[in-house]
Amino acid sequence: MALFTLENISVAYNKQNILQDFNLEIEEGKFVSLLGPSGCGKTTTLRLIAGFLESNNGKFLYKGKDYTKVPVNKRNFGFVFQNYALFPHLTIFDNVAFGLRLRKASKSEIEKRVASVLEIVNLRGFEKRYPKELSGGQRQRVAIARALVIEPDLLLFDEPLSNLDANLRENMRIEIRRIQQELGITTVYVSHDQEECFAISDQVAIMNKGIIEQLSDPATIYNYPKTKFVADFIGFKNFIEFENRTIHENEIELSKSGFTFIVQKNQANTESDRKIGAIRPDNLVIRPFQELVNPGGNELPGKVKIRTFLGRSYQYIIETPIGDFTVNQEMLVPYQVGDEIILEFPANKMVLVK
Amino acid sequence: MRNRTIYLLLLPGALFLTIFMVIPILLTIGSTFFNEGSFSFEGYLHYFQDKYFIGILLTTLRVSLVTTFICILLGFPVAYYISKVGTRTKVLLLLLSIFPLLTSSVVRSFSWMIIIGKNGVLNKLLLSIGLIEEPLNILYTPTAIIIGLVHLFLPLIIITLIGVLENMDEDLLTAAESLGASRLGVFTKVVLPLSMPGLVIGSILVFVGSFTAYTTPALLGGKQRVISTFLYQNATTLNDWHTAAIVATIMIVITLLVTIIMNQIAYKINPKG
Ligand SMILES: Nc1ncnc2c1ncn2[C@@H]1O[C@H](COP(=O)(O)OP(=O)(O)OP(=O)(O)O)[C@@H](O)[C@H]1O
Ligand SMILES: [Mg+2]
Repeated sequence: MALFTLENISVAYNKQNILQDFNLEIEEGKFVSLLGPSGCGKTTTLRLIAGFLESNNGKFLYKGKDYTKVPVNKRNFGFVFQNYALFPHLTIFDNVAFGLRLRKASKSEIEKRVASVLEIVNLRGFEKRYPKELSGGQRQRVAIARALVIEPDLLLFDEPLSNLDANLRENMRIEIRRIQQELGITTVYVSHDQEECFAISDQVAIMNKGIIEQLSDPATIYNYPKTKFVADFIGFKNFIEFENRTIHENEIELSKSGFTFIVQKNQANTESDRKIGAIRPDNLVIRPFQELVNPGGNELPGKVKIRTFLGRSYQYIIETPIGDFTVNQEMLVPYQVGDEIILEFPANKMVLVK
Repeated sequence: MRNRTIYLLLLPGALFLTIFMVIPILLTIGSTFFNEGSFSFEGYLHYFQDKYFIGILLTTLRVSLVTTFICILLGFPVAYYISKVGTRTKVLLLLLSIFPLLTSSVVRSFSWMIIIGKNGVLNKLLLSIGLIEEPLNILYTPTAIIIGLVHLFLPLIIITLIGVLENMDEDLLTAAESLGASRLGVFTKVVLPLSMPGLVIGSILVFVGSFTAYTTPALLGGKQRVISTFLYQNATTLNDWHTAAIVATIMIVITLLVTIIMNQIAYKINPKG
């Protein structure tokens, strides 16, 4: 069941629409990430859900009730800010107790709940310190504790780990996921770190210019992107805009400038508007030119234009009659710039996007 | 080497302050403990038994505290508003709010005389719309002094508050709200404590300024003496420098005390300020 729904939401800053006819539905207990390039509207979406921003039109439904006009302080959502936003004038204890005091909890109850939430984030013994006296990771955990202690109906994170170093980031994301699963709180998480989103989410929404291009589980997004934008964003660097498309029993036949390509059929690529082929640099194969060209297709003659050493593999830019392609290939004896080669497109590795 | 250069650079200023400020102040304070050549507290005892003097002291304290309080009440919303507007409006509003500081306090006091005098603009207006029957007696009362001082010192508190409000992280207010705080709660639990450093500095400036102000109370207070006009009277009209020195010392001590107390209050509200 959907916990909350955004229906045809629009948000504008200075008369410029940032979100337009925006729709999003999130299920109870799920960990959902919003992922997208800088400026695409992730923070805006999150702030709208939290109630910090008002939409010009559209509806925000929470458990079926219209929450569009419910003010921030009545929503009982926990928000974790990118810069933590801890109250500098309060101790860690008082920071965490802030929401409980506003809810008029008794002194003993406050003490009990603050202690137990500090236990969860591994910060017992830090109660008397001030935020300035903590490290970045500790502050982040205080921010999480402060949001958790009010037992929020929804937990919202805006790039909570972007100020931490890589190691700590990895530990913290495991922590966040553990806490979320332990408490079963529905969570919306904003990030522009792809690996981070894929690692901790049940579902990922890829955003572009104020719309959601695809909302699926991480593996589906990784393997079956729907649109060119999503494919490009998650590393399908090579695209072919096909001219003709025929659907056969088990495969789809496509062509471009007289070259034929075969793509294996699946439920995700038969929609009629999927006419762009996409393939990752890792999945293209380069063969020496001497070998026979496969008459069935999926091969192009080409020439090495640029070669870059990446460490584990070489990256080549290959020039072909239908455009340039990027290929990563591991090999002992690399090709030289100017070498004539054959570029092979494995039928099970190419996806079709729109 | 580098440190020594810095000390050398400090020397002229330090010398200047010592010769023209520290030594005179110490001499003044010291002189108050000597009565006809022998050490005694008699000067002070005398003044703290003198009803007239205590009255002046209390009036001055009251006027200064009320002025400070009104300045905070009026200054906070203005500072908050100015800290939120765009840069160009901000410059304009800042200029407007410090404008009173740029006019002479004599001119300002005379303007207030015209406004709040018995036949002044204010009384005429209130009489003509029938709000009052008799003209209000404001001029030459402590109220008149307060009005003049608020006008004089409001800019100080506005400017110091803008300083802290501008640097206040907007997310802190949003965070408080998302944890369930009402507008009022956000103000009392976050904005106010975080404004404390500016508020204390502003309040001390206003209080000390009001407590020691001379022109405004002299012109708007009429026969109502405050401590600085009393001091002036003793020193120049009565030529009683011993009394003047005692009054001056009392002023210094009270100023210091109030400064310390305000700091304490601020520390209570925001220990990290
Ligand atoms: N207060 C504001 N006033 C005007 N425009 C704004 C404001 N906040 C955001 N925008 C604009 O709205 C768009 C979306 O901003 P948003 O902060 O949602 O992006 P984001 O996806 O969170 O980006 P990032 O990954 O960089 O945080 C941007 O183009 C931004 O310039
Ligand atoms: Mg953002």
